[in-house]
Amino acid sequence: MKLTRIAKVAIATAAAAGLAVSTLSPANSATRSTVVLVTSNQLTGLNPSVTNMNLTFNSEVAYMQGFGFNYYDNSPKLVENKLFGSYKIVSQKPFKVQYTVNKGKVWSDGTPITGVDLLLSHVICSSSYSFTAKIGDPTDPEVAPAFNALCYGGIYDAAHVGLPTLSADKMSVTVEYDSKIPDWEIAGPGPSPVHTLVHLAEGKTKLQKAAANLAAKAKFEKAFYSYNTKLMKAAGEVWSNSYNINKVDNTTNKLLLVGNGAYKLKTAVPGQAVTLVLNKRHVSNPSGPKTNGVKTVVFRVVGDGTAAAQALRNQEVDIYQGQPTADSVKLLSEIPTAKVIGGAQAVYEHIDLRVGTANGVSEEYTGPFAGDSQKAKDLRTAFLLAFPRDEIVEKLIKPINKNVVRMDSLLLFPGEPGYDDMVKNNGISKYTKGTQSQREADALALVRKHSSSNVKIELLWGTPSNARRAAQAQIIKAALGRAGFDVNAPGNSAWPNFLDSSAYDAEFFAWVKSAITQEGNADLFNSEGGNNLLGYRNKTVDAAVEKLRKTLLPEKDKLAQYLIVEKQVLADAVTLPIFQHPGVTAVNKKLQNVKPNPLSPQLVWNYWEWKYSK
Amino acid sequence: MFAYILRRLGALVVILFGSSFLLYNLSAISTDPLGELRLSDAPNKDQLILNLTRELRLDLPPPLRYFIWLRGVLGIFAGRADFGLTREQEPVLEAIMGAIPTTIRLVAVATLVAIVLGIALGITSALRQYSRFDYGMTFFAFLLFSLPIFWVAVLLKQYLAIDFNDFLVSAKISPPWIIGFSIVAGFFWAAIISGSRRQVVLIFSGVFVANSIFLSAISATEWLSYPRLGPIAILVIGVGIAVGVTYLSVGLSDRNALKTTLLMALVGTISYFPAQPILSSDRPRLGILLLFIALLIVSVSGALLFARVDRGPIIRTSVITSVFIGIFILIDRMMQAWRPYVESDDVNYRPVATIGQSTIWLSEVSFWVRVLDFAMHLILPTLALTLISFAGYIRFSRGTLLDVLNQDYIRTARAKGLTERTVIMRHAFRNTMIPLTTIMVGDIAGIVGGAIITERVFAWQGMGTLFNKAINSFDLNLLMGVILFLSTLAILANLVADLLYSVLDPRIRVGAGK
Repeated sequence: MKLTRIAKVAIATAAAAGLAVSTLSPANSATRSTVVLVTSNQLTGLNPSVTNMNLTFNSEVAYMQGFGFNYYDNSPKLVENKLFGSYKIVSQKPFKVQYTVNKGKVWSDGTPITGVDLLLSHVICSSSYSFTAKIGDPTDPEVAPAFNALCYGGIYDAAHVGLPTLSADKMSVTVEYDSKIPDWEIAGPGPSPVHTLVHLAEGKTKLQKAAANLAAKAKFEKAFYSYNTKLMKAAGEVWSNSYNINKVDNTTNKLLLVGNGAYKLKTAVPGQAVTLVLNKRHVSNPSGPKTNGVKTVVFRVVGDGTAAAQALRNQEVDIYQGQPTADSVKLLSEIPTAKVIGGAQAVYEHIDLRVGTANGVSEEYTGPFAGDSQKAKDLRTAFLLAFPRDEIVEKLIKPINKNVVRMDSLLLFPGEPGYDDMVKNNGISKYTKGTQSQREADALALVRKHSSSNVKIELLWGTPSNARRAAQAQIIKAALGRAGFDVNAPGNSAWPNFLDSSAYDAEFFAWVKSAITQEGNADLFNSEGGNNLLGYRNKTVDAAVEKLRKTLLPEKDKLAQYLIVEKQVLADAVTLPIFQHPGVTAVNKKLQNVKPNPLSPQLVWNYWEWKYSK
Repeated sequence: MFAYILRRLGALVVILFGSSFLLYNLSAISTDPLGELRLSDAPNKDQLILNLTRELRLDLPPPLRYFIWLRGVLGIFAGRADFGLTREQEPVLEAIMGAIPTTIRLVAVATLVAIVLGIALGITSALRQYSRFDYGMTFFAFLLFSLPIFWVAVLLKQYLAIDFNDFLVSAKISPPWIIGFSIVAGFFWAAIISGSRRQVVLIFSGVFVANSIFLSAISATEWLSYPRLGPIAILVIGVGIAVGVTYLSVGLSDRNALKTTLLMALVGTISYFPAQPILSSDRPRLGILLLFIALLIVSVSGALLFARVDRGPIIRTSVITSVFIGIFILIDRMMQAWRPYVESDDVNYRPVATIGQSTIWLSEVSFWVRVLDFAMHLILPTLALTLISFAGYIRFSRGTLLDVLNQDYIRTARAKGLTERTVIMRHAFRNTMIPLTTIMVGDIAGIVGGAIITERVFAWQGMGTLFNKAINSFDLNLLMGVILFLSTLAILANLVADLLYSVLDPRIRVGAGK
């Protein structure tokens, strides 16, 4: 045995000596052309307009493959995409908007884009069209309509009048609304390749010739205006089901992949990665901003935060939107090859008090905060006075992003136009003046006016496994304890189910804004509002919300209505905002122009600006 | 026997029904798929809730929903099982079928390495009982027992991926590292071989010097940047394999066997040259097949040429040797793909990957680059799984072998005058394998479902990820599909282990004695 070992050692030495000596030097790495993003979700479908397919990630992938009339920038503000087309109000009464596609724009299969491609938006949003064409009842709880679309029941459905009309050259579509609705800009139509839909409905499995594409488009136009039940039903079947695939490879029907965006879907491997490559037609004839040298965009599925951070360090991924926690920020900022971009999310934390029984709840709310009596109002005021907003922001949020400030408006984010004026006038000063200990003393005095013993409060929050929320609950409990409240706050992992429950007197959680609408979050305080979980009812607020909802107001008037709502709600001591959630995005140092957007599609909204430095 | 298997399969059905009914209802009660929607600020929230209720049949109580699900599953007897759709509208069966190969790829290599290495170290440890090596292995095993996989994964990624990739840019090994490595190697071999003090010192210094020269050569030639084996290294490795395999299999005293295997080392080296164009052709899989068929034919005929008596063992030894040499020829071919792989835009000089199963978007699509890509993604998870699972094999095989070595039949074998090699390899080792087999079967079944954390930290998409996803997204159909699959596997593995036991150990008979 000993001999063998020594022999082996000799062998190894000989092997090393026997190697050819190489004189090549490492090549210089060229500028990269691939951007890899981390996503924690996987692709579930190519059509995010289908019910249940409207997941953030599906929308992001779809966004890169299609350009419409507008998009949100990171202000966030709606930007018109002049390269694709234009839209304008052509009549105030009746209120009509005309959408025009620029001449010469093409789908990725070469078919010209025309106004006919805008008509599908009507089919998937208008319940009345669905009824007339006999392709299903979108309000039926049992059976899904032919087009199982998310859009039914939205702004467009409620306000449109009749069918959209095509112009003579078929490049424009005019839509009529019953009044000058707010948010008409985001309610309008977007392009869809209707010729591929017709091909798919007819069972075709590969790309067709140019003439066949034009014929299919004409067929769709005819079927649309004649309410052709048979074709529309078949198209709906395809639209609702065929795009719901999570796997894309060479065998995928190419008709499903036609788009007009800068990138085309090349492969999607479930749970692993989605790969997009440049759309050559977009390079020669862009329907949106031109790209900047990035040829391939890859979304990689990584569920674990530490794994993503290490992958970023190993330069396997270039963009990672991390967990907004202090630990995560520290970990990411220590990566030498990456930079951390702060930014904010369109999400805000707030504390709510229950005022009455919420809509649709059978059990009546009779807790200490119930009703309009002076006692209930004083107790609510005391609770909000002693609520330690500054401490929460200082201790828990600043370590994540030092630019985050306490939020003082219910309807506007810090930095939004009008925010400063709002804070001056909405009456929040009542809850911000003095120091925390002074406010706690004032609160205690208010409580003692009505009760010699401490007031028992059930506070809802979730989930206990969320360390930041747990820390928040601790801080809240301590501060309110000094102000005469016994707060019971064990945390509840099923908290979303209890938000309207009469068993809780107070709750803190976060609201998400998914789009910028005129009504904004004012709906939260409307008596009949679907998200009014607090049982709050006030005529002044209802009137203001009604105004915001029904007609398009100039910016100044809109803010005036916001002020009415905020003043009333704060005066009634119903709720207080706490902070806007910070975002954390870490990016490869060489990759420029990544600008996180608080709204979806957060990271990819400006993908055309991405660029690698040398 | 047949009745016994039938009875066990019958029990399987009853257990599956009971457990699936319980689990279905428990999971259905504990989750609320509508929770997220209730928080939404979408204008058509009620419509969305309605749609989801319709889709998941939330209007029915869970026990009723269970039977709807069961009806679909029982369709398996009618030839079309329906495990339902996931929340993402993908058939559950498809999702599971897609995940199984991944999990097997992840688990198979790791389990194999863990078993081979664990048993080898365990047996060596047992043969050197109460030596420094034995204590070292015991310490090592308990250290590995106590390591959590997610932590091991983080360390491996930091040192073997991130730092190693940084190192590869220049690929120069600095003198302190060379000395450090050589000291460790010296201690290792000195502890294994052991002997008198003089011998230990001699072995240590020999290994130290050889290792230092070897590493310096690797550093000086930039071998790590331009890895290659070449015919000379293959010949040297081949001779080493030939001697090693012959020693373990039939003993070096069998000169015919030694001649055969040494011939195979030579033949393997010569076959390196014609293998190059065959492996680089556009049908590399066929090339690999041809290479191995050729090596097998030559090794069998070579063995027949030299062996006069005892042909079986010599043929076996010769075949094993040539297969190993063939593997090294493949490794060499894979190394030739190293530069194009590392230099491609998608890899960008970061070859050791920390996440994922492969670089799917790799623009360089030649077979060997792809294989290399798979290998580079497999390294870290396999290493992590191996590290934490082979400690068990070390301890178990050590204990079992010590137990067997104290049996009467071992004493008898020694008394007959058999060589120590024959006593260990033929009499002791085989009997050690009996209890180990049952452990292996159970382990493989358990590990298929048990790699949840490993898959998560390495971002692999296998059964563990599916299970995790099912729980997090309240996906009842998916959850039930995974549970059904895993519980069936666990019960079947138990059955297989029982049957195997009776095959390996003639004293045990299943289903008898009633």
